[in-house]
Amino acid sequence: MQLHGLEAALFYVLAIMTLFMAVFVVTARVAVHSALFLISTLVNVALLFILLRAEFVAGVQILVYVGGVMVLFLFVIMLVQTRAEEESRVRLYTGQTWPAVIIALLLAVSFYFAMNPAQAAFRPPEGPLAVAAAEASERSSAGAGSNISKDTQAVGEQLYRQAALPFEIASLLLLVAMVGAVLLARGTKQEKYYE
Amino acid sequence: MLIIHHYAFIIQLGGFVISFIMGALAYVSPLLLQAQGPLLKRFEPTLINFLMLSFLLFVVGVAGVLSRRNIIIIFMSIELILNAVNLNLIAFSRYLELNKDVLAAKGLAINPLSGPVFTVFIIVVAAAEAAVGLGIVIAMFRNRETVAIDEIDLLKW
Repeated sequence: MQLHGLEAALFYVLAIMTLFMAVFVVTARVAVHSALFLISTLVNVALLFILLRAEFVAGVQILVYVGGVMVLFLFVIMLVQTRAEEESRVRLYTGQTWPAVIIALLLAVSFYFAMNPAQAAFRPPEGPLAVAAAEASERSSAGAGSNISKDTQAVGEQLYRQAALPFEIASLLLLVAMVGAVLLARGTKQEKYYE
Repeated sequence: MLIIHHYAFIIQLGGFVISFIMGALAYVSPLLLQAQGPLLKRFEPTLINFLMLSFLLFVVGVAGVLSRRNIIIIFMSIELILNAVNLNLIAFSRYLELNKDVLAAKGLAINPLSGPVFTVFIIVVAAAEAAVGLGIVIAMFRNRETVAIDEIDLLKW
C-alpha cells in the first residue's frame, strides 16, 4: 500500500477513530448525536481514501455524504423526532440483540476462514519486477508537493469513456429518486391542491 | 458507554488534531521517514489491514441494522455498510494499481480504475436510497406517529 512511517501511523489513528465513531453511531441514544457521529465516520473514511490516493472519491464522499445526505438525515430527524428516546426508560433496541451478536460472530468466523488462506496472496509481491514497480511509484510520490495527482483526471476519463451508459442511467436514477421522495413526503394539503 | 458519548466529540477533535499534525509532518519530511529503518516496516499497513478495517465497519453496520429500534438509525447503519464496501473497493484498486506490472507479468490484466468508478456509482445509489427511504419515513410518521420499527407491524400476522 506504500504507506511508510507517519502515513502508516496515520492509518492506525484513522482506523481506530473510524471504528469508535461507528460504534457510537450504533449506540447513541439521541438520533442527532448518531447523525453527528456518522459525519465523523464519513470524514475519517474520506481521509483514508486520501491515504489510498483516491482524492476524487474522497471529495465526492465529503460533498455528497457530508454535504448532502447527512443534511437530509438531520432535516428528517428534526421533522420526525418525538424526543421520546431521550428518556432512559424507552427501549433503544429491539429484542434482536442476541441474533445480531450471533450473526456478527458468524461473519467474523467466515471472514477468518476466508482470509487466512488468502493472506499470503495479498502481501505485496516480491521479486525484481515488484521492486522496480515500487521504486517507480516511490519516485512519482516523492515530489508530492510539486505535482498534482492524476487521480481525478483518470477517474473522469474512465467515467465518461468506459462507464458512460451507467453514468447516464445513474442520472436517471437520481431523477426518479428525487421525484419519488417529493411524492412520498408531500402532505395531505398539497395532495388535495394538486388533485 | 453513555458517559463516553459525552466525551466523544473531544476524542474525535483530538484525533483530528493528531491526524493533521502527523499529516503535516509526513508532507514536510518524506526523507526523514525513510531513514527510520526496517523496525517500523513490520507495522506498515497492507491490503489485509484495510480489509480488516472495512470488515469491522461492515459488522458494526450489520449489528446496528439488526438491533436498533429507530428506523433513521437503521438507515445510518446502512450508510456505514456501504462505506465499508467503498473502502474495500478503493483499497483493492490501490493494490492493483501498485502491483500492475507484476500482475501483468503473470497474465492478469485488470483495470485498477474500476474501483473508484464503482465507488462513485455506489455513492450515487446510496444518495438515491437515502432520499426515497427518508421520504417513506416521513410518510410513515404522518400515518402512524412513530419511527420505531417494532410498532410498524401492519404487514405482520
